[in-house]
Amino acid sequence: MTARKTLFILFAVLLTVAMLAGCTGGGAKFKVGMVTDAGTIDDKSFNQGTWEGVKAAATKLGLEYKYLKPSGTTEADYLKEIGNLYDAGFKMIVCPGFKFSSAIYAAQTQYKDAKFVLIDASPSSADGKTTKVETNTVSIFFAEHESGFVAGVATALQLQTGEVGFIGGMEIPPVQKFNWGFQQGIKYANDNLGTAITMKAENFVYQGTFSDVAAGQQLAAAMYDKGVDAIFAAAGGVGVGAINEAKARAVKGEQVWIVGVDVDQYADGIWDEAKTKSIILTSAMKGITKAASDMINLESQGKFPGGQTLTFDAKNDGVGIPATNPNLTADVSSKVAKVFADLKAGKIVVSAEQGSLFK
Amino acid sequence: MKIRIRREYVLSLVAVLLGLIAGAILMLAIGSNPLKGYLYLFQGGLMSIKRIGNTLATATPLILTGLSVAFAFRTGLFNIGAAGQMLMGGFAATGLALTLETVLPRPLVLLCTILGGTLAGALWGLIPGLLKARFNVNEVVATIMMNWIAFWTVNDGIPAYVRDPNQETQSRGISAVASLKADWLTSLFPGSYINLGLFLAILAALLVAFLLDKTTLGYELKAVGFNRNAAEYAGIKVNRGVVLSMMIAGALAGLAGVVFYTGYATNMQIGVTPSQGFDGIAVSLLGANAPAGAVVAALFFGVLQSGKGFMNAMTDIPPDIADTIIATVIYFAATSVLMERIWSAWRRKRSAKGAAAPAAAGKEAPPPASPDAPAAPKGGA
Repeated sequence: MTARKTLFILFAVLLTVAMLAGCTGGGAKFKVGMVTDAGTIDDKSFNQGTWEGVKAAATKLGLEYKYLKPSGTTEADYLKEIGNLYDAGFKMIVCPGFKFSSAIYAAQTQYKDAKFVLIDASPSSADGKTTKVETNTVSIFFAEHESGFVAGVATALQLQTGEVGFIGGMEIPPVQKFNWGFQQGIKYANDNLGTAITMKAENFVYQGTFSDVAAGQQLAAAMYDKGVDAIFAAAGGVGVGAINEAKARAVKGEQVWIVGVDVDQYADGIWDEAKTKSIILTSAMKGITKAASDMINLESQGKFPGGQTLTFDAKNDGVGIPATNPNLTADVSSKVAKVFADLKAGKIVVSAEQGSLFK
Repeated sequence: MKIRIRREYVLSLVAVLLGLIAGAILMLAIGSNPLKGYLYLFQGGLMSIKRIGNTLATATPLILTGLSVAFAFRTGLFNIGAAGQMLMGGFAATGLALTLETVLPRPLVLLCTILGGTLAGALWGLIPGLLKARFNVNEVVATIMMNWIAFWTVNDGIPAYVRDPNQETQSRGISAVASLKADWLTSLFPGSYINLGLFLAILAALLVAFLLDKTTLGYELKAVGFNRNAAEYAGIKVNRGVVLSMMIAGALAGLAGVVFYTGYATNMQIGVTPSQGFDGIAVSLLGANAPAGAVVAALFFGVLQSGKGFMNAMTDIPPDIADTIIATVIYFAATSVLMERIWSAWRRKRSAKGAAAPAAAGKEAPPPASPDAPAAPKGGA
């Protein structure tokens, strides 16, 4: 009896000590959660980019972090996972993708003591009539057209002559802006840097989903057969199909290229056994990783920019091509760097509208 | 007096149990505590009024797609097209809701969306039904193809007719007038997504049960399911049965679309095939293809699906484990014939040995679990 009692007391003391120990790290500590958009965490694109930012910042700051994958893409599915994170003590929640727009709109008032980061959208009500960024939310946009522009210039300079095409996922603003920026980049290089790249309207297409890998492969195959040399694929899983097609052709000795999107996709395009050759010419990057980690860092310093709508563009290095591009010559890289500097300085202005460009 | 429990239900329960055991083994394998995992899983689905409401809301479309597949099954048809029928039901309901919400009073709007969506689903079932009856086109192939037609119809139809002005890939939001969410119901389960669809689902289950068990038509349809040739020989119009059965299955899935897109969701997005369509097959299998079974199975899946996020948030167990449990349960439900054989073999052995064996009973029951359990990760991976 006494032995059991002693054991119980010992156990209770141990538990208390453990709990106190767990608390000593408190203060600026908080838990960071993320809810994924459609697709998996290793989508080589949006989810993965955000998650890497969350991981990097949270590891550096010694924070607990976690992601949840919703079972669907409705507002209800998203809000359920946000609620799960909140109930489990995750008070900073990062949500990548425009589909979170109405879920965050509801969540920001429902969970007032939580912080929300919404990437690629602003919070708006389900009926689309009201848009409001509450003081516990920050909404982040990217200048995709500038990213596409730089990638377009780099592609034109490296190829000098030839033909380019574009495969998009859904016809939504971020993807359209990538496309329009890319076309402007090619045109800029043709007009000012002496390249001769052709573009045909039929080679600028949207597949309609971000998931149909097989369709991406077919579209890319058709374009390459028509003589296109490089395809800008801003299409998630559809882009993965295009990359697969390019790799298959590279193995057979064909010279074809893909321009990657969102993150540096160079490693995804490696096709030879020695792992030295990739069909990714360059990538039109969006600083998703930077955006996510920046927000977590700011929150840890108590400087969370709540209530604001931020734009990541060339000026704050929020978009652009990777720092190293093994498939671009040094000469091309330096020329692109100059164009990027002009863009940064405002000497070049890239339009985010379609204008006279292909859809 | 013996309590009458259908053997199929016992097998389903065994399948659930084996699925949970397999899930526990998986949790142990990744170094987590399965008891804690299951505690959080069920807490996530049931620990508050709001969560119960969400679980019921998650289960609602599953009940209907489960009924759809089960009904077709009972008449000898395999309806893989619940997803497409759901999409068309949802598309029709969304279109009607957004058109009529400013014109008609709420009861009439709801009546129109419910009837319209159900009819659209029925139409989507009718086509494969006709193809099967007329040209003997395999309904599995036909319904899968109809899924894609529905997918692309919605893909083009939503932006063309009821587009959200701010967002090209979804319809406008459904207003409170046309939504199946009702204030009195929401206030019973504050903050949850429960909606009137639940009552529609239960009503549908009762209707299907009545149709199958108490009417001549149901008897005929079941006869076609048991043996097509015998039914034909007995003077039952087999082709009419096939067409009708696919229509009813389609109508049920169409209704699932109505409750999902105008009750659970706030608008209709393009580019998404509702997972409830295929989950309906699992619900039907686990529910022994019976209406009551489908309701219970859908509720069970509802708990798992709404609880897995909380389990994931509280522990290091990945959400895929919950999906794996569901997959394993289905696996065991699908191989129930095997389990039934092992069961009767064991009973034969026992009766042969006489009364000497009972002590061994507890020890001999698990064997079916151990050879099958390692197969579970395959389903998850």
